[in-house]
Amino acid sequence: MLRTSIFGLALWSLVMAEPVDDFESRVTEFKLANGLPVLVYTDSSAPVVTVAVAYKVGSNYEPAGKTGLSHMLEHMTFQHSDIYKPGEFFRIIHANGGVNNGFTSGPYTAYFEVFSREKWELGMKIEASRMGRCVFLDSDFSSEHQVVAEEQRLSENSPSSVFWTQLNAAALLAHPARNPTVGWADDVAHFTTDAVRDWYRHYYSPSNALLVVAGDIRPDEVRAKAEQYFGKYKAQPVSLPDFYNAEPKQVGERRLVVHRVVTQPSLAIAYHAPGILDSAFCAAVVAGGVLGQGRGSRLYQRLVVDSGLATSASAYSETGRDPGLFWVSVTPKAESLIPRIERVVYAEIGRLGREPITDRELQRVKNQVIADYIYSRDAIMWMAIILGSYQLTQGSWREFKLYPEKIGRVTAAEVQSFCRGFLTADNRTVGTLLPIAQEEK
Amino acid sequence: MRRGHFRFQISDCRLRNYGNRMTRVIIAACIMCGLASGVPLYRDTLPNGLAIVSYVDHRLPMTDIAFVCRSGSASDPEGKWGLANGTVTLMTRGTKTMTADSVASIVEFLGAQFNGYAGNDNSMISLRVLAKDLVTGLDLLTDAVRNPSFEAKEVERARAQGLAGVREMSDDPMARVMVDFYQTLFPGHPYAHQTIGDTVSLMKITREDLVAFHKDHYVPNNCFIVAVGDFDRPELLKMIQARFGDMTRGDVPEVKAPDMPFPGKLRVKLIYRPDMNQTYVMFGHPGIAYSDSDRLATNLAAYILGGGALASRIGDAVREEAGLAYEVRTVFDQDRLRGAFWAWVQTAKPKEAIAIMFREIEKMQKDGAKKNELDDAQNYFAGSYPIRFSSNQGKLYEAVNIEIYQLGLDWADKYPGKIRALTLDEVNRAARERLHPGQYVMVVMGNVKKEDLGLSDVEWIE
Repeated sequence: MLRTSIFGLALWSLVMAEPVDDFESRVTEFKLANGLPVLVYTDSSAPVVTVAVAYKVGSNYEPAGKTGLSHMLEHMTFQHSDIYKPGEFFRIIHANGGVNNGFTSGPYTAYFEVFSREKWELGMKIEASRMGRCVFLDSDFSSEHQVVAEEQRLSENSPSSVFWTQLNAAALLAHPARNPTVGWADDVAHFTTDAVRDWYRHYYSPSNALLVVAGDIRPDEVRAKAEQYFGKYKAQPVSLPDFYNAEPKQVGERRLVVHRVVTQPSLAIAYHAPGILDSAFCAAVVAGGVLGQGRGSRLYQRLVVDSGLATSASAYSETGRDPGLFWVSVTPKAESLIPRIERVVYAEIGRLGREPITDRELQRVKNQVIADYIYSRDAIMWMAIILGSYQLTQGSWREFKLYPEKIGRVTAAEVQSFCRGFLTADNRTVGTLLPIAQEEK
Repeated sequence: MRRGHFRFQISDCRLRNYGNRMTRVIIAACIMCGLASGVPLYRDTLPNGLAIVSYVDHRLPMTDIAFVCRSGSASDPEGKWGLANGTVTLMTRGTKTMTADSVASIVEFLGAQFNGYAGNDNSMISLRVLAKDLVTGLDLLTDAVRNPSFEAKEVERARAQGLAGVREMSDDPMARVMVDFYQTLFPGHPYAHQTIGDTVSLMKITREDLVAFHKDHYVPNNCFIVAVGDFDRPELLKMIQARFGDMTRGDVPEVKAPDMPFPGKLRVKLIYRPDMNQTYVMFGHPGIAYSDSDRLATNLAAYILGGGALASRIGDAVREEAGLAYEVRTVFDQDRLRGAFWAWVQTAKPKEAIAIMFREIEKMQKDGAKKNELDDAQNYFAGSYPIRFSSNQGKLYEAVNIEIYQLGLDWADKYPGKIRALTLDEVNRAARERLHPGQYVMVVMGNVKKEDLGLSDVEWIE
């Protein structure tokens, strides 16, 4: 029984004052003399502090034959330094009630620890040690090298992982984002201790890093400890190659079929799309929302609700600095339906280029971006990662708050123009994951 | 505002009257505890038995609400596996006055999140909404709980989606091994089947089954609400009372679970997959129930053995020293009925990895942990606990857990102390009694033959 009509918001809305967005006042930014930039995000609602350090190196910077080296280095930094020996890193974190992790992406490698307020300094001590005091011994390397090889095999045994990895590589001819972060199997097999050590010495330095501390902490506390632990390292300028224009213009549709032991086929289509700094980027985000975010989106309505050709349909544009891919993915109800599904997808994309989207469709995506901006601030421990990511990919943490405003300015005409310019037949790579006969006993 | 540590406070408990038009809300319990910031967790109960656990946090203009039903896939009738999950999924897809498209249209226009899903023991509809849209969100939630339509077209659509989900799961080697492990360990038990059902069971579920499951299980005495975020608590209680106060109690069908026998010896199911270059192994035996008096001691022992993954005996031996795997761990499931103790590894050298894991489990069962290992484990469990409360989502999950298992509203204050109070003798006794080396059910998938595994005295499951 509904006592309030669905849109009867007036009473409740009136009594709720519009909250003040205090986001910017919570962030402090400074730089150490050795070039280490520092961001502090203060939120004292829980007695917890996250310390994160990111380095501007990842799979994008790896030359042919060395794919996966940044990820291998990430593993090795947990092994041995002046304050921990193999097997000790996680024990030190856990014995102090902390949690931690590290991850490698195309443009950067990041690490973080979360501790209760009284232990937060340990995060600084550990990350400073990682920055300049890692030790690379053959004896530590050999077992970790095998661990990474097992991790690489893990991705080879997951049909969906193989499908996405190969389709991504087929869609990108030249941009290094075509390589999997974990590396190609043969490259992984040939890593050496020396190669990892060289990679570390070249890229892990204060002037090629970013320190972000978030949580129940004051900027002056961070500044003092940052000086104490990270101030001792010397600046070491690194020239980073720029791959912004690396990918040549696609000149015709590419198609890829991946055969694995599966019973459920998949369809995915990748279009080259603008990077996050491009003026067309926000229109790409809105196009993704209108086409394939949620039940109300056009592809979901046509493919899942109206025709029943598929059981899921989605679309989104990648959010990297460099031009990336705009993805459409569909779960077909049966393999035989894939050609019909493709026709529907292309027809909907064509319509998006010909006719302006409705005001409600445009507003829906804008509302979702605003809501997501609020929701993403919920987990204080992730704010360090979010702010670091904006700082590294867009040049400023302030872009986090500006993003909903930028999306808010997108017009229906810009969405049309994006679709006509980017979502074309010549600019797409179409991939299908299909079953092969399976022998099992 | 108090912060820096958990606080335990007791407020005055009294009846509260929310005005002339509203039924009096009886505050069955209003002990409150500070979840990390000194702001209290409250528990109120409507006369019909519906409990409301709430935590007010004005930090961000958003609210999370969970409507939890204490029935999950363990309540699926024989052969209709997936019914609980289908019911809660379809509850969010259309009501007597709104189509599924209308519901989605409102949810998506508000930038809200509105989903239904089931676990073994419980089902949950979760709503995340901006504070300004709370009333609309609550109306959607109310309508989903009280007036779901289970419209025929939506049922068929959900069935097709369920079948695709089952196929995707069976295509993923990791999920496939887990599915087979539970089926093999728990035959005839409510935990044997997957929450999402299987390709046979999903075809058997009818609209009438869904309607009946909803009618039998979504009664106020079998449900509760948790709200975390930016709202006025008396206002929220008033709204919940107005929307759910006239739900009527009902007798909920009991979950019948046979006792789970130990395997007696090593029983192995081998799935030969020549296309794989790594072998996936899961093995284990019946474990403990959440209510087990030794649960915390058992968890500490399991953590020291292989729960800390990279800071555990098995993690050290299999990953750090031998480099045999990226993923290796041991876990005691935490469910209402007795769940599984299981060990997991993905490796190119299964024989070596299994031998090490067998050895370490046996050693832990026989000799127990050392004092320094226990100290570290206690520091980790107690020290990292506040991290769970550094987001609304984390607070919501913890509050749901507190209510499901009736841990008491002061649980967050007591938990670190309970962990630290456990002695080495208690933890080692738990390891001795709860681990049963050799009595494993094991599922192996990969490019391996029986003789490659180096196992002896095995009963092979065909």
